[in-house]
Amino acid sequence: MAPKQANRKAITLKGSTALVTEFFKYAVNTILFNREVYPSDDFQMVKKYGQTVLVTQDLALENYLEKILQQVHKWILTGSVTQLVLAILAKDTRTTLERWVFDIKLVEPSPDAKEGPGKAEAEIQSEIRAILKQITSMVTFLPVMQEDKVFNILAYTSESADVPAGEWVDTDPLAIEASKSQQVKMRSFSTDIHRIEAMVAYRYEE
Amino acid sequence: MRDACVTICDRRVMRDRRGRGNDATTCLFKLFCLRTSMSTQKTPKTPSRRRVRSEAKTPLTPSLLSAFNTVSIDSPIKRATSTSIPLSDAFQRQASGGVIRKGGVESRLDVVTLDYVPPPKSTEVKRSRSTPVINLSDRDRFITSRDHTHELPGTLDQMANPPSGSPTHTARLAAAAGVPLNRRILGYHLPPPMASSDTTLALQREFARPLYANRPGTVATSTGATTNKTRKIATQPERVLDAPGMVDDFYLNLLSWSSLNCVAVALESSTYIWKADTGAVMQMGEAPAGTYVSSVNFSNDGAFLGIGLGTGDVELWDVERGVKLRTMAGHQAQIAVLSWWQHLLSSGCGDGSVWHHDVRVPRHKVMELLGHNGEVCGLEWRKDGELIASGGNDNVVNIWDGRVGDAPIAGDAVPTGNAKWTKRNHTAAVKALAWSPWQPNLLASGGGTNDATINVWNSTTGARLHSQTTPSQITSLHFAPHKKEILSTHGYPTNAVMVWSYPSMEKVAEIRDAHDSRVLFSSVSPAGDMVVTGAGDESLKFWKIWDLPTAEKKSKISGRGEGTTKSGVLSIR
Repeated sequence: MAPKQANRKAITLKGSTALVTEFFKYAVNTILFNREVYPSDDFQMVKKYGQTVLVTQDLALENYLEKILQQVHKWILTGSVTQLVLAILAKDTRTTLERWVFDIKLVEPSPDAKEGPGKAEAEIQSEIRAILKQITSMVTFLPVMQEDKVFNILAYTSESADVPAGEWVDTDPLAIEASKSQQVKMRSFSTDIHRIEAMVAYRYEE
Repeated sequence: MRDACVTICDRRVMRDRRGRGNDATTCLFKLFCLRTSMSTQKTPKTPSRRRVRSEAKTPLTPSLLSAFNTVSIDSPIKRATSTSIPLSDAFQRQASGGVIRKGGVESRLDVVTLDYVPPPKSTEVKRSRSTPVINLSDRDRFITSRDHTHELPGTLDQMANPPSGSPTHTARLAAAAGVPLNRRILGYHLPPPMASSDTTLALQREFARPLYANRPGTVATSTGATTNKTRKIATQPERVLDAPGMVDDFYLNLLSWSSLNCVAVALESSTYIWKADTGAVMQMGEAPAGTYVSSVNFSNDGAFLGIGLGTGDVELWDVERGVKLRTMAGHQAQIAVLSWWQHLLSSGCGDGSVWHHDVRVPRHKVMELLGHNGEVCGLEWRKDGELIASGGNDNVVNIWDGRVGDAPIAGDAVPTGNAKWTKRNHTAAVKALAWSPWQPNLLASGGGTNDATINVWNSTTGARLHSQTTPSQITSLHFAPHKKEILSTHGYPTNAVMVWSYPSMEKVAEIRDAHDSRVLFSSVSPAGDMVVTGAGDESLKFWKIWDLPTAEKKSKISGRGEGTTKSGVLSIR
């Protein structure tokens, strides 16, 4: 019984990791589009999660995100990443305007519960859909960013995480001063293994 | 150095406190308030003001007085003890003057410290001489340390870069920032790529949007066409022909539909005939090298084609045989428009003149009409040849008597005509002109972009009968042959073909965006049901605008002598 259980879990971990990584891809794209970090001409509509998602067709950006997501995928698989942050900075002043934070938590399987078939994929998808929709709807209340923007993806990893030398470097958290920041918690979604909690912090000055 | 200054200042405070008793504590408090406020708002002080204050108003204790090498006649102690309220006032000023401002070069205390060079020993002596009630050194230390704690959190750089890398401090900082110590924050080593497409593209679109959004009379239909309830016209063209190289120029007239059902269209230097009956295309020939065709027009019988060139030459072509019969030179500028009446071919020239060419005689120029300051781009004979209307780039519409004097004039001179009516109501170039086929004294004229108005004139009385503003530039006008309607074609932004009822001038139908570019030329079919339009998008479109009249109506109309019959065929030679 035990090896079978382990086997099932190993597969689920991979599947869950893939699911989470994919979610990040679309979430990042959605944010980049909606917050106008890249011109809307760069994006094309793609059917995903039963809705249309705007995904960049800029090859350079696509490759860039792909490289990051590959590493994130590895980290999620080993459970060494706890948080991913998409920070949007003003291009000229380098001040952080928004921080889109995704907490990645490992769901501790309750030792006694025999969770039969686990969470259905459709259910997970609907949760993801809800987050993406929420990102889109955030535009209505987030402050308008007039200046040119750049983004930056940060990964909060454990000390022991396997870091490819030269590719990932320790950086500043790009935090927004507490007095000038407001935070909104967003929906979350969970697979059998992972739980993703989303949050956005944005610079808000009177 | 600065710490020393603080000490001095505080010492001074203490001394005065000693002298004035209870009053001093409030003063001390005020001093702190002042200090904190001063550190936040740095009011620049001019050196002259500072000097005045330091020399005259600062009450000094003896110890400090000796330290300063200034000569004071009054005893400072006396002054200090005798007046308590002015002293506290002066105290405040002193405090404000002596406040340490970080980086403030002209700070008054700096001046004091420069003067205050004597060794600490001497001050000790002086202090001991005066009655030491309070342990000053303790006080001093207390105050300075207070001062430090007060100032430290205010500086952001110090908070960001803690001077000591104490582990407990780092831990506290980490805890406060919510960053676990055993975590790493990693970022990808490369910055994200710049946007490849033009970031201003969306902005430009944003700017351009109002131009489209505020199109006058915007309609909600997907085809962009509106038709009256009583009338339905096809919103799609019956036929589309390619016209590669068609010149996108408002002033030219490059399209004509003959009574023999041939469509002539000029594409740059070539003229083509499209036979509507068979669909065959025939090239009429090329314009001479270096020039282009600027206007084409069929004679009333359809047998001859007049071609105006950019050089000012007017060519006469035999349509059936496809040969050039003659070239009539004389004009010095582009021939933007041609109009026929029987054997007379009238040409409107870029220099503002209109010439009547008698195509039968060698000396073809039989009359000259001078009445425009700008290029003549609209020219239309009335069917009966009584009147000819011309419109120009000078916004003028002229109506001329069409009769050509028979009496020859000596030499090269030709008779010149006088305009019967000159109308200056338009505010833009008048290219569109149309005579009514069913009411001979009606002339419709339409202005360009700034005007966009259709005016209907009575050519007999000269009165303006109707005026109708339209959404955009009018490029051509036609009266419906069998119906009381006017057709107009329009340029940017609507690119529309519109049909107006006459005389109510109500919009009957509109084909919005008939072409992708401004509709420049149009011609009505000999039968009177179709209209061909040409545009800058290099295509010809055939629209079925009107229905053919029923049999009895047709007979009635044909009795009036419509131009569709070949009865009026003229012989040129």
